[in-house]
Amino acid sequence: MKASRGSATDTVRFAHRSEAEFAKILDFYGIRWEYEPRSFPLEWDDGGRVIESFNPDFYLPEFDLYIELTTLKQSLVTRKNRKVRRLRELYPGINIKIFYGRDFRQLLLKYGFGSTAAAR
Amino acid sequence: MTGAAQDIEEILLTRDQIAARVVELGGEISREYAGRAPLLISVLKGAVYFLTDLSRAIDIPLAVDFMAISSYSTARAQSGVVRLIKDLDVEITGRHVLLVEDIIDTGLTAGYLLRLLQARSPASLQICTLLDRPRRRILEALPIAYRGFEIPDRFVVGYGLDYRERYRHLPFIGVLRETVLGEAEPAAEQQ
Repeated sequence: MKASRGSATDTVRFAHRSEAEFAKILDFYGIRWEYEPRSFPLEWDDGGRVIESFNPDFYLPEFDLYIELTTLKQSLVTRKNRKVRRLRELYPGINIKIFYGRDFRQLLLKYGFGSTAAAR
Repeated sequence: MTGAAQDIEEILLTRDQIAARVVELGGEISREYAGRAPLLISVLKGAVYFLTDLSRAIDIPLAVDFMAISSYSTARAQSGVVRLIKDLDVEITGRHVLLVEDIIDTGLTAGYLLRLLQARSPASLQICTLLDRPRRRILEALPIAYRGFEIPDRFVVGYGLDYRERYRHLPFIGVLRETVLGEAEPAAEQQ
């Protein structure tokens, strides 16, 4: 597992620039976060081996909240929506929020980024 | 439409709609804070327009004060954290404080302000926000006692809300055109 925690100025390796920017916003407000701290198995084969899992991008321990940032590409959004639905079915106690491409783009605009920064 | 209003794609809330709702909010606050002389606190600059109208719609004794905090767009260049750049002029210990916001979005700014204010032991602390955009809410547990309008996930300006320090003066709240948002210089924080 590639879980990381701390502040964005640490040596956390983010998969996307938008994730790094999101972490900086959380740091700005003093919100503790962990990056991909947990993998949720979603599907198993007949032998009980995990064949599909989901690693939400962020976990905010103070709020017991997972956050997933999505792409602007519709095909990937559809896939992530399905995963999140499945996660909620299998783990009803897990609190997760998706930030869609449009949400995240506007969030970045609000916090002072150009319009292209949200593309992933 | 002329001038800055030309950049507006759609008027979400008219001047009249805003005025009517502000009067309603003022009435509710007047009733519920009767005898408690609330202190209305607002954060510069976005909420100033709302605060001035709201305070005039409240018919009980009250006081107002202002705070200012650093914006993320400035601080990110320095990997900074949010900080207070203008503190209150009055003590709030034992007072009934109403934090007046123009918009609650992620709740991160409001959460920071609440932590800051709560540490000063007010008698009570609640939020009055003109706009509530819950879709991107990260901090769910905010004490929002008064809410003007719930709005969809659009980039809105006017009535105090800005984009790169423009459009605050518009008397309505409107959705900014995508073509304007597409211009790629760092934007001012919307607050």
